[in-house]
Amino acid sequence: MTADLDPRLLSMLVCPLTKGPLEYDRERQELRSPKAHLAYPIRDGIPIMLPDEARQLES
Amino acid sequence: MTEPYAAKHYAARAQDYVTSTIHSQGSDLDRVESLVAGKSLRRVLDIGCGGGHVTYRLAPHVGEVVACDVTGPMLDAVAQEAARQGLSNVTTVQAPAEKLPFEHGSFDAVFCRFTTHHWSDALAGLREARRVLAPSGMALFIDVTAPPSALLDSWLQSIELLRDVSHIRNYGVAEWVTLLGQSGFVLQTIGTHRLRMDFKSWVARTKTPPERVAAIRSLQRAAPDDVTRHFGVEADGSFMIDVSTFQAAPL
Repeated sequence: MTADLDPRLLSMLVCPLTKGPLEYDRERQELRSPKAHLAYPIRDGIPIMLPDEARQLES
Repeated sequence: MTEPYAAKHYAARAQDYVTSTIHSQGSDLDRVESLVAGKSLRRVLDIGCGGGHVTYRLAPHVGEVVACDVTGPMLDAVAQEAARQGLSNVTTVQAPAEKLPFEHGSFDAVFCRFTTHHWSDALAGLREARRVLAPSGMALFIDVTAPPSALLDSWLQSIELLRDVSHIRNYGVAEWVTLLGQSGFVLQTIGTHRLRMDFKSWVARTKTPPERVAAIRSLQRAAPDDVTRHFGVEADGSFMIDVSTFQAAPL
C-alpha cells in the first residue's frame, strides 16, 4: 500500500457534498473542497470522503 | 466523530467478509464476470464492496476497478487481498453510497452486491449510482429480496434486524422496480435464485450476541407453517433466502 493518492483516482474524485472539484495537497495528504470549506483526509492512500471526518477550512 | 452506523458495525468484521464463502462464491458472481468479459470496459465501480468479491471478479476483465465502501477496515482488507491476487488495477475510496464522491458519468459499469439493504436511503444511493454511470453504461444490482407476502416480509426483516442491528431493509422485487424507475434506470432483466444460509456461520459473520441468536431461534420455533415452509427453516436454524439480480441501463 502506498501512502500517496493513486493518480487515477484524482481525475474522477469530486466533493461528495457539492460535487465540485477538489484540490490535492500532497504534503498534508488532503483533498480540499473550496466550495464546501472542507479538507478530506487521505490515509494509506485511501481517500476518506466522509464530511464528518473532514477538516473544516476557514472561509 | 460521528462514524456511519453501518461502518461502526462492520469495522470488526472485515476479514470475515473477505473469507466468507457465501460472499466469495455464487452464480451471481459468475454473472458479474460474464457481463464484463470481452467488453474492454475502461473503468467500473463496486459500490459497498464489503469483502471485495465483485471487485476481484471484475479486475481481470476491465481497465480499472474502484472499490467503494463506507467501512474503512473493509477497504484495507480489500486493498491487501487485491495486492495478494496481483490485481494492480484496483483502487479504494471510503464513501457512503448516498453521497458518492465521483464526477458525473465516470464509470462504464456500476455494481452493487449485498449492500443496498444497509443504505439509510436506497433511492438516494440508486440515484447516485445512476449519476456516476456513463450514458451508455450498465448497472447490476444484487441483493436479498423480501417475498411479496406481508407475513413473510415481516419475518425476514425481523430476523435480519436481530442478527444485525445495522440492517435497514431487504426490499421486495416490486419495490426494487419502483426504486430503479425513480432513479433513472430502465430495467432490463430480473432473475431470482435461492441461497441457503448456514445458521452458525450466518450469525458468526455478524458477531451476533448470544441473546439475539436465542431470540432468532425463539422466533423460528414459534413461526407459523407458512414461514417455516417458505424459508425452509431447518432444525439448526439454517434457512433459504431469495436473492434477486437486476440488470439496468440509464434511461
